[in-house]
Amino acid sequence: MEQSGTSALLQGAVQDLASGVVSALRGGGHPRVVLPADTGGAAGELALAAVRVLGADAMLPSVLLRTPPDPAEAAVFRKAVEAHPPRPDAALSVRWSHWGMARTLRRIDPSSPAGPPDEPGTGALDEADWQSLTRQLAVLAPLALPGEDCAVSRAAVRRPVDVARGFVRAVRRRDWRQAAGAGRWLTLLPGVPDTLGLVSGLDFVELMGGQDPLVALHVQAARLMRTGAPV
Amino acid sequence: MRSDQKVLEELTAIQAADIEAALDPAETDGVYRDSRECAALALAGGSGGLLLSPPAPRPKKG
Repeated sequence: MEQSGTSALLQGAVQDLASGVVSALRGGGHPRVVLPADTGGAAGELALAAVRVLGADAMLPSVLLRTPPDPAEAAVFRKAVEAHPPRPDAALSVRWSHWGMARTLRRIDPSSPAGPPDEPGTGALDEADWQSLTRQLAVLAPLALPGEDCAVSRAAVRRPVDVARGFVRAVRRRDWRQAAGAGRWLTLLPGVPDTLGLVSGLDFVELMGGQDPLVALHVQAARLMRTGAPV
Repeated sequence: MRSDQKVLEELTAIQAADIEAALDPAETDGVYRDSRECAALALAGGSGGLLLSPPAPRPKKG
């Protein structure tokens, strides 16, 4: 399906942002500042929307590498959270993505209220078949963080074998984004079958789809979490 | 004639629908592996038993 000009611009801005996050996670010379400055105008609006789409992962280097965020960066992140709240009838992934950003904001900004924000419902996630569960979890991969609990992560913990099946399915379908997101979740789940070969599977996902910054981001996050990043 | 800046502003007038579409993408159509990728997977493999097992049957036509 053909993308609108706006959608294409937004996707491009998200990819650029994701590339910056990957570079920061790899320690590519700029470990902290990833987000664009708050420039205002059309370009600023596009940048905020890109931050909103990338979600909590926009601050992933600070969270995973345990470095204090640049204040200007935190301000842009906050502005994105405040500028794009989900509609009440928005899809599950839209509401949880915003919740994840709010949670991250509270973690990185001492002036925010203490404790996690109220969780949205999980809808039919618990009853979803393994294909739908994996698709939804992959979209919500920014919620996959060590030591961070929420209803979505609890749903994933209850079904490691289903997520593993979904990972294999995604690899076979060459859906590298879904495979990378599912693999990131699997890195955190207990009870994943050893026969899955998750580590080599993620290497393969990176080999085949790593030119997509969103794929590279999840693979790199999974590696950092697996090797015990200081979180 | 509109200025480039005007065109840019119209193009970047991000709608909530664009953001929601990006956050809730439909699943992409599946594409099955070819032998080149199977070979790469075998090289990257090791103990990846499930990944290296035979591919799932393709849907029957008709």
